Amino acid sequence: MIWHIAKRELYDNLSSLRFALATVLLLGLMLTNAVVHLREHPERVQRYRDRVSQYQNHIASHAANSLYDLAQEGPGNLHKKPSDLRFCAEGGEAFMSDRAWAGHHRWSTDTLKSFWILTYPSATPNRDNVRPDVTKVDWGFVIGYVLSLIALLFTFDSISGEREHGTLRLTLANSIPRHTVLIGKFLGALISVNIPFILAVLVNLLVISTSSDVHLGAEAWGRLGIIFLIAVLYTCLFLALGLLVSARVQRSAVSLVILLLVWVVFVVFMPSTLVSIAGKSTPSGPTFDFSERSWKIHGELRDEYSPRRHKEAEGSIKRIQIDGAYVTKDAEQQERLHEERLNQRIAEVHQARTITRISPVTIVQNLIESFAGTGFERHLQFLENVRAYVREFRTFIVDTDSADPESLHIFGVRTGMSQEPVNREAIPKFEDTLNLSKDFNTATMELLLLMLFVLVLLSGAYLAFVRVEV
Amino acid sequence: MIGTLIRRETLDNLMTFRFAAAVFIMLLLVVANTFVLITDYERRLASHNEAVKMHQRQLQEKITYSAGAVRVDRPPNPLSIFNVGFDKRLGNEVRISHGSVPSLWDANMHESANPFMDMFASMDIVFIFEVILSLLALIFAYNAFAGEYESGTLRLVLTHAIGRGEILVAKYISAMLCLIVPLLMSLLLATILLTTSASISLNNNDFLRIGGIIFTSIAYLSVFYLIGLLISAATRRTSTALMSSMFIWGFLVLVYPNVILTVTPRPEAPDALRTSAFNQIESIWDTFDRERKHYLATDDFPGEDWGYELKGWGSRGAYFLDNARTLSYTYRSTMDFEGFGEEDEPKMPHAQKHFGFLGAQTIDAADRTWLIRKPTLEEIFIQPANMERIWLKLSPVGLYDAATQAWAGTDLLGIRDFFHDARQYRQSVISYFYDNKVFESRQWFSGDKGAADWSGLPQFSFQRDDININAKRAIPDVCLLLMINVVLFIIIFLIFVKSEV
Repeated sequence: MIWHIAKRELYDNLSSLRFALATVLLLGLMLTNAVVHLREHPERVQRYRDRVSQYQNHIASHAANSLYDLAQEGPGNLHKKPSDLRFCAEGGEAFMSDRAWAGHHRWSTDTLKSFWILTYPSATPNRDNVRPDVTKVDWGFVIGYVLSLIALLFTFDSISGEREHGTLRLTLANSIPRHTVLIGKFLGALISVNIPFILAVLVNLLVISTSSDVHLGAEAWGRLGIIFLIAVLYTCLFLALGLLVSARVQRSAVSLVILLLVWVVFVVFMPSTLVSIAGKSTPSGPTFDFSERSWKIHGELRDEYSPRRHKEAEGSIKRIQIDGAYVTKDAEQQERLHEERLNQRIAEVHQARTITRISPVTIVQNLIESFAGTGFERHLQFLENVRAYVREFRTFIVDTDSADPESLHIFGVRTGMSQEPVNREAIPKFEDTLNLSKDFNTATMELLLLMLFVLVLLSGAYLAFVRVEV
Repeated sequence: MIGTLIRRETLDNLMTFRFAAAVFIMLLLVVANTFVLITDYERRLASHNEAVKMHQRQLQEKITYSAGAVRVDRPPNPLSIFNVGFDKRLGNEVRISHGSVPSLWDANMHESANPFMDMFASMDIVFIFEVILSLLALIFAYNAFAGEYESGTLRLVLTHAIGRGEILVAKYISAMLCLIVPLLMSLLLATILLTTSASISLNNNDFLRIGGIIFTSIAYLSVFYLIGLLISAATRRTSTALMSSMFIWGFLVLVYPNVILTVTPRPEAPDALRTSAFNQIESIWDTFDRERKHYLATDDFPGEDWGYELKGWGSRGAYFLDNARTLSYTYRSTMDFEGFGEEDEPKMPHAQKHFGFLGAQTIDAADRTWLIRKPTLEEIFIQPANMERIWLKLSPVGLYDAATQAWAGTDLLGIRDFFHDARQYRQSVISYFYDNKVFESRQWFSGDKGAADWSGLPQFSFQRDDININAKRAIPDVCLLLMINVVLFIIIFLIFVKSEV
């Protein structure tokens, strides 16, 4: 019986104006998305490849000199690998730097050179961007905004409309339990919303996968499948909301007004309003800018070490030891400073993202981002990869140095370290990787939250429909 | 008769659920967001004040003129609460130095800003209106004709001796009256909230600007109401009218502004233009460098060291700084000494003379660079962006956004006014330097005989433009909006007059 009702609903919808309009709208958007991706992605991949080879040349040139050179210069720029599924979610990638810089220098004197530190350059594409500001049309936008609106337009009159026409009374006069009617209507609407969506997705993927420039591996297709399921779940949420309001309200026009206003509040305004609330307050007291702070710390360290350094004779072991301690401590301090600033910024973003989770559209966009391998969580994963690599690189330097019997094993000074050139094959190479299981961990909470929303709204719709008077 | 019609229509609209919903949602959204936006503005203002203080202090701490970096800060615009435009986005501090002419492309963001936070969209009151007003207008309009066709009341009304034009006008006026009520109420509340906030002081001109924003909002509202009426008159069935309205709304508000720029080819200035301009600029600085070296080689002092082999306590550095993307090129030489030994004293006059020569040369090179740089920047950055803006203006949403930005002064021109003022300030700083012979002074590079005196430096203050200029920038877009209104009205009139009842 459920299927009978669902089929009837489906046939009703297929011939309606809204079905045609929804199909055209979704197809147009998804096609645009595919074309833009094909235009931009090959360039992005090429740029990444060029930069990786630059990085490898950088390492090789220093390795050929000496271990000290390599240890002092550092591995250089570490680049973030672009995701193949960038068309699913843009994820504010433009506002996150695509590199970490493991080779930042600050000072040198006649005898000493500062060691490299890991820094996190920030991307500020907006600072002199005078172009108008627009949202990228990715799957996240199509699903989050357009598909949810379409879902509401398909369900706002599904119960109230029948009540107005009197057909609901007719249906319920038969020996059909009410929940069967509700589930039938739900399934019918779900299928009719998903037909244009699936069509649009297929066209999108067809265009993308037929191009020779873009390759999607097996893993990518798996991710796409999960993203599609998330989209369906998200559609269910809005269908359930539509049914709920439609069952509670006597007239379709009222139901539509309520639904649209709820949609506008939760989907359009909530995310950006809540972010503004989450902004930080400015600190009181005198402010110092970052470079000032950095130089101050450096100055304090220099004042602490320079009298001790000058007591020892130039070239003595004691002097080399003090010099080495000075340089390594300076690098450590400066790196910690950069790390602190980064963590502070990340904490701020985390706070903003937690607050915006009240809005279902943010949840679904976060989910799509984490499965598409873009966005903020992915950036954190990249930073994690960078730190792991930096540790590996430092261990490698220590190991290679201890393998050289001529070295004094004092880091930070040329005379204290191995002068042998390093075999470039042995140096660990940075390779940015994406890890699905890690993504899934961060995403589970949001997935559960989304499911919770759907369940609450569905049971609400059920309760409302059972108690409704026809 | 028309009075009776208007009264009937108005009453009909006032008693509906949608009117109550409109008032409720507008008040809720606008008030809640105004609170949030005011706190956000206060935060930005506090950060601006901090930055001003910090730059003051950093300048005062420098004991030589050559080491001091004069920085000016762009204050946040209080009307950015209405339309944020470029106010948050573009750089808000710029360095004023004699060696380069400041422009938008040399500006920086305050250090305290978190670059990650840019990934979240920022919002303003005009955005709320963009979305909600258009939606409400369509909800009010969809059954204006279609509903009356269906229920047959239109036929009844037309049996009276009344023109169809009058019916149309009555419907338009009454619905607009009902729609303007929530608009004005919410704007009034927002303005009250603004005036009660301690950190925001609005002057007469600001209130006039807000008036301009209100007027533009009404024109925008009217456009969408007329679009709804057009659909309603053309489709004749409420359900079809409703669906078409909703999809047209989705297209105009949600899809068009975001899609159009990715579909149209990105207007790019040719790379050759940038390269040739940069080459010209490079040659200016090459000439400068040659003259500088020539001076060092031919002056009375032996040797070619620009620091005149001064061995004091402090630091020195000289370098060229260039950026091919933004076409900036400058020469910086700083010498920051706290004191000198006896043997340096005879070298001083030579060094002073040299720095006097160098200052004038640098200013000259920087001014000539700007002559090339200004038109090229215009062509590379501004013109493509303006092309894109024209595409956006094909939709009423884009027109509304552009017009309100111009009223609020947060549009590109409004922000560029600041950099214009910064350039003028550079001129006054330079004339102060000339008047007080700062370049030739000992304080230019050494603080041993008294530190640099920064207190006499002219003060920078940025005054936003006069209301007339805002109006001049906004009027074209407002006029376009009004014209769309008139055209739509005529089309509806024609359809309605010819339709059979």
